[in-house]
Amino acid sequence: MEQHIRKTLVIILQICILYVFSYIGNVIQIFFNLIIPGSIIGLLLLFICLCIKIIPVHWIETGAGFVLSILVLFFIPTTVDIMNYPSLLSFHGALFVLAIVVSTIISIAITGMAGQFFEKKAQKRKGDKECNKLHSHSP
Amino acid sequence: MQQAPLALSMILLTVIAYLAAARVYKRYSYPFLIPVLTSTTIIIIVLSVFHIPYESYMVGGQWISSLLGPSVVALAYPLYKQRRFLLDHLLPIGGGVLVGASSGMVSVALLAKAFGINHSLSMSLIPKSLTTPVAIEVAKGLGGNPSLAVVGVMIAGIFGAIVAPSIFKLLRVRSPLGRGIALGSASHAIGTSKAAEYGEVAFSMSSVTMALCAIIGSVLGPIVAWIFL
Repeated sequence: MEQHIRKTLVIILQICILYVFSYIGNVIQIFFNLIIPGSIIGLLLLFICLCIKIIPVHWIETGAGFVLSILVLFFIPTTVDIMNYPSLLSFHGALFVLAIVVSTIISIAITGMAGQFFEKKAQKRKGDKECNKLHSHSP
Repeated sequence: MQQAPLALSMILLTVIAYLAAARVYKRYSYPFLIPVLTSTTIIIIVLSVFHIPYESYMVGGQWISSLLGPSVVALAYPLYKQRRFLLDHLLPIGGGVLVGASSGMVSVALLAKAFGINHSLSMSLIPKSLTTPVAIEVAKGLGGNPSLAVVGVMIAGIFGAIVAPSIFKLLRVRSPLGRGIALGSASHAIGTSKAAEYGEVAFSMSSVTMALCAIIGSVLGPIVAWIFL
């Protein structure tokens, strides 16, 4: 029981840390009038703070893991607004769906081939580097 | 109804609907039973039966929505955990993310224009390949409708995970790296769980791509909307 309470407190506290980053991000966004959303600025700030070890990862890992595991819950209220848009079940709605479906096919096809292409390039580059190393080592 | 009890009951309704939906999905993992779909349906039915308008629902709902910001920030954690992997494959990931984010957004913008889809609907389409909390933010910023954006994101996710295997087969995309990048950039979290079926590399690749696409997409979205729409 005590452990449960402790874990809950840790999660709440760590979510507060995430909240602070999100808030700072929003302030920066408004102050500089940026197009990038405040929460994304917060994400980048937290990532940088983790990398340069200003914030140790154990300060946020339990809270972040928890939030991400129930992420769906947080966007349900936004989704419920769909009840005000019955027009989605119309001709325009069908076009909306069609545009997404076609675009998703195009995107997966192009990106899959591009990813494979870049991987081969990277491997070749790595291979060349190793060859060069071998040559420079040989007398 | 008074504000506080109304807020509390709406929060409870949402949490219970979510928990029930998550439980059902754990037992029967069909794509059309994903929790966002089932829980939203349950809530809309309850609201319609009791004649509660969306605005009243949001008296409670806004408290849950306020956690969207921190949950976007939380994406820094998986990205940090995968930083080694990211550095090891910087060229394919960087190139793939750029191609993935831009091909998804540009193609949907052009299709929206070709189909004559109206402005607000088009703006809700643009972020369809981003992870949902970010897509909501981007749609809001563009003047689109956040709930339509969520619907778009869901369609892109479910449909992408279903067609991806055939596309890979047809185009001979065999590398787990290419597959992971394609799924993460076009179909976000749903694509990433599909990528897990192709092994550890494809899964890591897909989750890193998803997070990076969210960052790049939030800048690219307004630019694409400005140029093409």
